Amino acid sequence: MKRPSRIWSLLLHLVLLGWVLLACLPFVWTAVISLRQYVDAFSVPIKWLAPVTFENYSRLWIDKAFYRNFLNTAIVTFSTVTVSLSVGCLAGYALSRYRGAVGFWLLLTALVFRSLPHSTLLPSFYVMFDALGIRNEFFTLILVLVAINQPFTIWMLRSFFVNIPQELDEAALVDGCNRFQAFRRVIIPVMWPGVVTTGLFSFLLAYNDFLLSSSLVNAERMTMPAAIANAISAGSEAFLMQGVAGAVSITIPLIILVLFFQRQIVSGLTQGAVKG
Amino acid sequence: MLLLLALPLALTFYLSVRSCALQMEVVTVTESSPFGTKEVVTQRAVLGPDGRALSVCRFVGLEYFRKVLGLDADVAIQAGSSAPPDAGGSPAAASPQRSTEFIGALRFTLLYTFATTPFVLLLGFALALGVNQVGQRWRPMYISASLLPFIITPVVGALAIKWLFRDNGLMPYFLSQFGISLFWMAQAWSARLLIIFYGIWHVVPFAFIVFYAGLQSVPQDSLEAARIDGANAWQRLHYVTLPHLAPLFVFVTLIHLMDAYRVFEPVVVLTQGAFTTSVQYLTYYILLQENNPYKASAAAVLTTAGIAVLLVPLLMRTWKEQRRGG
Repeated sequence: MKRPSRIWSLLLHLVLLGWVLLACLPFVWTAVISLRQYVDAFSVPIKWLAPVTFENYSRLWIDKAFYRNFLNTAIVTFSTVTVSLSVGCLAGYALSRYRGAVGFWLLLTALVFRSLPHSTLLPSFYVMFDALGIRNEFFTLILVLVAINQPFTIWMLRSFFVNIPQELDEAALVDGCNRFQAFRRVIIPVMWPGVVTTGLFSFLLAYNDFLLSSSLVNAERMTMPAAIANAISAGSEAFLMQGVAGAVSITIPLIILVLFFQRQIVSGLTQGAVKG
Repeated sequence: MLLLLALPLALTFYLSVRSCALQMEVVTVTESSPFGTKEVVTQRAVLGPDGRALSVCRFVGLEYFRKVLGLDADVAIQAGSSAPPDAGGSPAAASPQRSTEFIGALRFTLLYTFATTPFVLLLGFALALGVNQVGQRWRPMYISASLLPFIITPVVGALAIKWLFRDNGLMPYFLSQFGISLFWMAQAWSARLLIIFYGIWHVVPFAFIVFYAGLQSVPQDSLEAARIDGANAWQRLHYVTLPHLAPLFVFVTLIHLMDAYRVFEPVVVLTQGAFTTSVQYLTYYILLQENNPYKASAAAVLTTAGIAVLLVPLLMRTWKEQRRGG
């Protein structure tokens, strides 16, 4: 292939760098102002340099007990990922090995629920859990997140399982495994990258959820995004700055995630697409 | 899974045609005090044998649908005028103007959906082409940086944009250098523009990644053959690459339609429903602020109908193509 000319290539890099700047600017600027006092963060004219302070963070994490929201998020996301992967692996495996019309209809149902806005289920969750008296529980939130996540997880894991040749199962069975051992000892190790990718996306769904965790549980059990939403209407300046610090705190784990798992995220995004 | 998803959906349909209220009774309370005896007539909730307040549920048919759709105009006005006039700034003050709630929400949701889709497709594709041209060692950097807006917590992303465009923020300052000064959150059109801008910013990376992966799978020998036959870069793009990527365009459009239809967080964050509502926001608002799960259910059912109308033609087409192809 002919190498593109130098000027063309330089121009290309400039355009792409422009995009990168646009993509990252909101974070970078939020991170910058999170280290400032309010008067320095929002001022006319803009201050490019200002005294650095960690006051916003200490207020938020220690005085406002943001660590509790962090723990809530950790509990909720970890449980959601674990449960939905366990169920999803079994269901996805079964669906990929099962040839029949029911499998197709199950997948179609999964797709339909994938397209439903979550809020359509919210009123009935609300009423149902109220009637059962279990609304303000971690358990309930996790259950709902798993349920909402499940169509997607099963869909994705199935497409990974389908790529594993049936002969592998048969070899394991011939060697004296039963069905479950074949699944546990032969298929899952081969599947591991697919499981990691799917797990990443379940993690993102649970971690990023705002609608459900802000409406199904009360303040002391809220996850970080729901807690930070209080900064939306922030009347006071100190409160607003704590919101800024909180936003940065939520984003840092995600940035680490991108740096470590870029390849898996990309493969997950393209999984459904390229396979058609 | 069926129990947790299908059951609530069915329950939503059921709830949407019902209404419950606490059963009240009129009681006369006699108060005796050193200053005489007086009788007060008051209402109180009826308690059941287990000590809980009894509530009466009845079938209300399409009443809530009519309310949500704004067909019962007089009822909406009554509700508005009964709100305390001095409730400025509280959510109650905003509700009288929501008489045609659902239609307004749907209109903005559709506007958002159709305004963002072309930008998402075009920008995503342009970026994919661009990154595909640069050297191998630069690519991971561009991809990582692009992924960030996509996987960011939507609330946080929208907040970051809000702070960027806030009064005295970075962008207003930057724009004022060019003589544009604007209070972005103060008018309906600029707030809407921000939401649409957020939507594009948030979804372009997804389209970019999908198209980029698609570009990797374009058969090199077809491109080579086209070059030998004398096709220029534009012709190669038009006749070889684009047909190869056509299914991906359909895929991205489909996913984006589903996701755009449930736009929610930017609406909450950027306008707090002051100028714009989206269909998801409407259900959420009715449920939590008006505390009326039955009306919220009606909104939810309408939402479901909306997505069905939007997606069924597309799904049918894909389905037919799949069958023809397979």
